[in-house]
Amino acid sequence: MTDYGHDLCFGAFITPRAQPPHHAVELSLVAEQVGLDLVTFQDHPYQPAFLDTWTLLSYVASRTRSIRLAGNVLNLPLRQPAVLARAVASLDRLSGGRIELGIGAGAFWDAIEAMGGRRLSAGQAVVALEEAITIIRELWDTSQRGGVRVNGTYYQVSGAKRGPAPAHNVEIWIGAYKPRMLQLTGRLGDGWLPSLSYLPGGTAALEEMNRIIDEAAVAAGRSPSAVRRMLNINGQFSSVSQSFLVGPPEKWAEDLADVTLRYGISTFILAADDPYSLELFAREVAPATREIVAAERAKA
Amino acid sequence: MHYGHPLEFGTFITPRSDSPESVVALARRSEELGYDLVTFQDHPYQPAHLDTWTLLSWVAGQTERIRIAANVHNIQLRDPTVLARSAASLDLLSGGRLSLGLGAGAYQMAVAAMGGRGLRAGQAVEALEEAIDIIRGILDTADSAPLSFHGTYYRVSRVQRGPVPAHDIPIWIGARQPRMLRLIGRKADGWLPSLPFLQPGDLTAGNAIIDEAAREAGRDPREIRRLVNIAGRFAPERGGFLEGPSVQWVEELLPLVVEHGVGTFILMSDDERTIEQFAREVAPALREAAERELAGAFLARPIRRASVRARRREGIDYDAIPESLDGAVIEPGDPSYARMRSTYFRGGSPGLVIQPGTTAEVATAVAFARAHRHVPLSIRSGGHGIRGRSTNDGGIVINLSRLRAIEVLDRATRRVRIEPGARWMDVAAALSPYGWALTSGDYGGVGVGGLATAGGIGFLGRKHGLTIDHLRAVEMVLADGAVVRASDDENPDLFWAVRGAGAGFGIVTSFEFEVPEVSNVGWAQLLFDASDIAGFLERWGAIVEASPRELTSFLITSPRRGQPTIAFVLAMVASDNPETIVRCLQPLVNIAPLYDQSAIIAPYATVMANAQSGDYYGRGEPITRSGLIEHITPEFAADAERLLRSGLIYFFQIRAVGGAVSDVPPDATAYANRSANFSVLALGAHRARLDAAWDQIQYHFNGLYLAFETDPRPERLAEAFPPPTLERLRRLKARYDPENLFRDSFDLNPEDASRPAPVETGS
Repeated sequence: MTDYGHDLCFGAFITPRAQPPHHAVELSLVAEQVGLDLVTFQDHPYQPAFLDTWTLLSYVASRTRSIRLAGNVLNLPLRQPAVLARAVASLDRLSGGRIELGIGAGAFWDAIEAMGGRRLSAGQAVVALEEAITIIRELWDTSQRGGVRVNGTYYQVSGAKRGPAPAHNVEIWIGAYKPRMLQLTGRLGDGWLPSLSYLPGGTAALEEMNRIIDEAAVAAGRSPSAVRRMLNINGQFSSVSQSFLVGPPEKWAEDLADVTLRYGISTFILAADDPYSLELFAREVAPATREIVAAERAKA
Repeated sequence: MHYGHPLEFGTFITPRSDSPESVVALARRSEELGYDLVTFQDHPYQPAHLDTWTLLSWVAGQTERIRIAANVHNIQLRDPTVLARSAASLDLLSGGRLSLGLGAGAYQMAVAAMGGRGLRAGQAVEALEEAIDIIRGILDTADSAPLSFHGTYYRVSRVQRGPVPAHDIPIWIGARQPRMLRLIGRKADGWLPSLPFLQPGDLTAGNAIIDEAAREAGRDPREIRRLVNIAGRFAPERGGFLEGPSVQWVEELLPLVVEHGVGTFILMSDDERTIEQFAREVAPALREAAERELAGAFLARPIRRASVRARRREGIDYDAIPESLDGAVIEPGDPSYARMRSTYFRGGSPGLVIQPGTTAEVATAVAFARAHRHVPLSIRSGGHGIRGRSTNDGGIVINLSRLRAIEVLDRATRRVRIEPGARWMDVAAALSPYGWALTSGDYGGVGVGGLATAGGIGFLGRKHGLTIDHLRAVEMVLADGAVVRASDDENPDLFWAVRGAGAGFGIVTSFEFEVPEVSNVGWAQLLFDASDIAGFLERWGAIVEASPRELTSFLITSPRRGQPTIAFVLAMVASDNPETIVRCLQPLVNIAPLYDQSAIIAPYATVMANAQSGDYYGRGEPITRSGLIEHITPEFAADAERLLRSGLIYFFQIRAVGGAVSDVPPDATAYANRSANFSVLALGAHRARLDAAWDQIQYHFNGLYLAFETDPRPERLAEAFPPPTLERLRRLKARYDPENLFRDSFDLNPEDASRPAPVETGS
């Protein structure tokens, strides 16, 4: 049992479909209206059936008032890190501090290469991500003087000016599954953002992955609770309880509370493209989950 | 020197990162003041600025009308492939308000410090040219082949183009040097220098270089808009250039319009009073003065790029498209052409798609089509028609998708008005809150217009009849452009013809239905082992015929050689009483071993909500045969089994009709084959083979439903319309469409000698 004690947060993972063009915008407005905390979009710049994720995030941020936003997760190989850092800071300033940076090392290398991106091995991509995170954090850090110099193997910045600073302390959430990425997350991440459907063996896999993150965090002199544990989930609302996240909202709440109490997951992001599911998730699942978790945490 | 571009005005606002609210406020103020355009410089190495792409996207969300552009992007720090997809995305989100301002990227050192390439000037021009080719390639969604580009600086390999932008995004380039100017002449849509950086004579020389390069590339120099960033100061007393009262500004800017062809002035200022004064005093006066000086010289519409014009089809006079249709036409070089050209079942290559937004625009489109009788004319509502007649090759498509209103006219009499471009799932959703439903087809993505002029064999058919049986009046545009109403009282002949043969008489722009009250319905989906095909068909047919009218069932099978035969039975029970539903469904469940089943009680709208909203990318020609049949006799079932086992058919459907459909006398509507209990449809892959096989079982049928039939032989028309109906239709055709304009869906006068011979169209 590992509960890191983070407050619970509920979000939406909406497909950034290009047609109809306002599909994701309208669902994001619904997500805000029904009271979700967060709206996120996947980022596959090689996929023309999707809108460009950064453009969509910026547009949706402009059309909403309170909901937080993040890529889930942004594709580093096709996003220049120094430009990305300033873009994130800019959107954070425009939106009054509602932006977090979800980022991944890249996965679909054939598609990335076809777009003109650089093909990296899994190991190289981890190093590249670490370099990029260093650059991004340095560029955001206007408390230091002098230009940013990072002479990495994959990314170099040589005297770039710092700033603009984001409006709030933007968290970096990392999509990670394999040990080296999990270690990187433990060392550098503010959040860990895997997807349930990619977990080998379902939620049980979280235990070992948490352990790797925790050890890496401790080794880096950090508290394991410095890394928020998040999870993209998918499920089905139905009148009868059938299996994990297939059933009525009460069943979902029990399932999610169990994942929180057992594995410390505190942010649940539901993949849904219909207003009805978002509303049930926000108005019924979220409060019921919070209630169970609060009651159990009080006992502990 | 003048290029005929009507004057436009923009602002240029410093994207200060220390004060994002004031930047956005000035952008909104620009819109309020009537500016056409708001722009921001792009220096990604400059932390005193907001990221320009992010800001443009944000501003798009805060404005409604004003167009947006960078002035200009630093291409060295913007990957062209990602930028192109981002541009398409922002164009979609903003409703077609984006222009792309591009520059080769100055400040080599700063670019390199960011991790960019830091190219030297000459290299940067080459890289920009490559970037433009990639951006154009990604945005050229009219071309369906993947994009490959192997340049010195950029390389993309077989990437899919798109997303499809909302409009043809112009590319403007900021430049001073001859190499860049020649590039503009070859490839860009606009030249965007900053006046304060130009020397006297630069505009003349620059225009000359651009024009020459354009002509050498086979372009018309008027394709390229001349924009200029200007800076100045309003003062009560006259002073230096653009330093003085508004009248002085007008005097000084007018020669730029008249002598140098400048079409767009972009005011570089963050001072709200300057921005206001320019909008109120300079812009309108300058427009007026330019109109005076250049009376009649302004182009009514932009000259399209040569590469767009090159894709035009012969036989269509594109320059004659009425101005009132501007914004409503899509030609083969337009980005959204790929989304428009084909239907669900048929690949198309029309020469022009017109998307009218009003009945008057439909009439204008019909008039244009009338002047082009030598090319095909297709009418499209939803584009899902099985016959695929809503597109063509080289002709005109009138696409009614913008005419999609659904409104209740009178609640007491359940009278609703529906436009042809609405889709049946939207109709069902709109009627559902009232407890009403209108039978349609089996798919929610089907458009109203095609189905409601052909018949409409749907899931409530045995209880409520055909869709057309609920029609009370139409408004339509006839071949001569007249807008008429037809009902039992007005133009009753036409109203008769529209209900079953509407596509031969004009374009219905509005349908008035009296819709029935329909409670929630029972809805079952049953998956059967149909190894005994003939027995299965026969048992299903017998049960359906013996069932109460509440039940309407469709049967589908997609036989595959070497695999067990599975049949899918859909059944709707027009009742929310569980007992009635079970009583109706129970006999069906027992006709064969069940693989899977589901049954729910739900609104009709829930059942119809089975379509994605999306575009269709059909290829080739649909190959179908169809027929209406009284009973599923053992003989027919045996023949059907042989046919299904032949491998010639990949989709086979039988829909129950009869019931209320048969209550209507055959002569009441142009849809006359009302005695049948079933409608049969087969989709095959080979025209000749399917026809040969189907012709042998033809004797089982008694007429056909034209909307399902693609056999082009003339006998089919006679089967769709029995002799008295066809004779009356031909008499009416002579009255309402004597020149046979509406002949592409089905031709009521195939031997008409007055019909112009088809011309060969270029490819």
